[in-house]
Amino acid sequence: MLSRRSLVIARSGLKLVLTDPAPMVTTIAMPLLLGAFLIPNARATLRLRGFANATGAEYVIPGMAVLFAFFGITMIGTLFFREHAWGTWDRLRASSATTADLLVGKLTPLYLCYLVQMAVLFGLGYLLFGFRVTGSIMGLALLVLVLVLVLVAFGAMLVAVFSTMDQALTVGSLLGMVMSGLGGALAPSNTLPEWSQAIAHFMPPYWALEGLRKVSLEHGTLSDVTTNLLVLGVFAVIFAGVATFRFNASDAKVGNT
Amino acid sequence: MLEIAGLAKRYGDREVLRGVDLTVRAGQVLGLLGANGAGKTTMVSICAGLRSADGGSVHVAGIDVARHTGRAQARMGIAPQALGVYPTLSVAENIALFARLAGMKPAEVRARVTEVARLMGLDDRLGVKAEVLSGGQKRRLHTGMAIVHRPDVLFLDEPTVGADVQSRSGILDVVRDLAASGSAIVYTTHYMTELEQLDADIAVLHDGRIVESGSIDELVQRHATASVRLRFEGDAPAEPPSGWEAEGELLVSTLAAANPGPAIAQVLAELGEDANRLKGIDLERASLESAYRAITGDTSRKEELDVVAA
Repeated sequence: MLSRRSLVIARSGLKLVLTDPAPMVTTIAMPLLLGAFLIPNARATLRLRGFANATGAEYVIPGMAVLFAFFGITMIGTLFFREHAWGTWDRLRASSATTADLLVGKLTPLYLCYLVQMAVLFGLGYLLFGFRVTGSIMGLALLVLVLVLVLVAFGAMLVAVFSTMDQALTVGSLLGMVMSGLGGALAPSNTLPEWSQAIAHFMPPYWALEGLRKVSLEHGTLSDVTTNLLVLGVFAVIFAGVATFRFNASDAKVGNT
Repeated sequence: MLEIAGLAKRYGDREVLRGVDLTVRAGQVLGLLGANGAGKTTMVSICAGLRSADGGSVHVAGIDVARHTGRAQARMGIAPQALGVYPTLSVAENIALFARLAGMKPAEVRARVTEVARLMGLDDRLGVKAEVLSGGQKRRLHTGMAIVHRPDVLFLDEPTVGADVQSRSGILDVVRDLAASGSAIVYTTHYMTELEQLDADIAVLHDGRIVESGSIDELVQRHATASVRLRFEGDAPAEPPSGWEAEGELLVSTLAAANPGPAIAQVLAELGEDANRLKGIDLERASLESAYRAITGDTSRKEELDVVAA
């Protein structure tokens, strides 16, 4: 899967992302800051609903992690669109790297950054706010891995569909916010209006958050989150399919330096 | 080393390339000349496997670029017209990236990065981010990234645009060395003096075809004419002396170029009062530039080049 060239491209992509740490800071610091304000209210709500030992972090940390992960999609700007603005995209294409090398090489740093974001958020959520897993740790890990796959495929789809960085990042952030909101990142989806509860089932964050809360709050086992994993996998395949169908390495893109 | 046969490319209704045939041997520097929009960059892009052709073929070291793009690309290097460097990576990281993509081992990458940086005069800037380099240094880095894997065929698309005199000279030295080591080099430029300094062979792309090719001496002999031009305040005298022609504010003579001093003295004497309106005298030698203008029928070429040079 990872060819030598895609590894080389991934390595340089990681360096490029790390030279512009703003998206990573946004996806890690902002959820923690906002979470600190939301956790007391979530704790009270959860205790009223019968979760006597809940800290509130079980609800807030996954929600914030998913919501701000969509803002982290700005990393595709550095990984793809800026290459065009810098004049380096065609150089990579002329280097005998195939389209698959380019895509895999560019998306791997995004995948790794998202994994780091999730690991740091859940880790700091545990240390700072008492986030805990009452169910399957394996279930949590698989949910995170597949959710990150969905996010990366979503980013690839934005790159494939849009020709300018501004379009891709604006639409990506908006869609991310809508999907996360409807999916229950800001408030439990069953407290939202009925019409939005129906729509929520078509949103990847809904399945991710429902699964994460099962394993953190409800003693959920791996089999309890199998459906969540499968549905998330289907979303990943759909997004990746659109990206593969639409992506053309020779398309001109407009990026900001 | 590079063989182009019947290359054709169309953008909508516009035929940019109409059957280009060209061969570049190992060790040869080929200067590709053509006006802006003549199709030079399109041709180079197709050769480098970045665009597809509508017809014809390109072979690099015997490898068909369209069929075996990756294999062919491994044998060539390209420094596109537009600057292409990673601003947030260091000089060494920029060069190393393309060395690694070419499959070099870590020790070889380190050695080659140092060597290329030295060749490009950037050995004291290895750890510096590209974004803080001067324009000329960026241009040299841009070229260095194309040669790091010792390509058999190298495409340099206007490699000295925006470069200062020192950078330009450094790039020309590298091109000479690469050709001497056996690389075939396609060098597109508007600066014809660079091609004269490189003693390049020339191909002229005009109207979608290679309309003339050969050594600089051959092209100059076949097409160039020396001339003397007298520039006047207002229109040149309507009835010029024998051997001179009026062209707007100019009096032009090709005959006078053989012995310009006496010829100019004589014509000034014959002009009488009109001589007081003389603004300047241009001597144009028989050069690649005049040959090029004769080949393409481009009378505005000199002014265009002056603008580019400015």
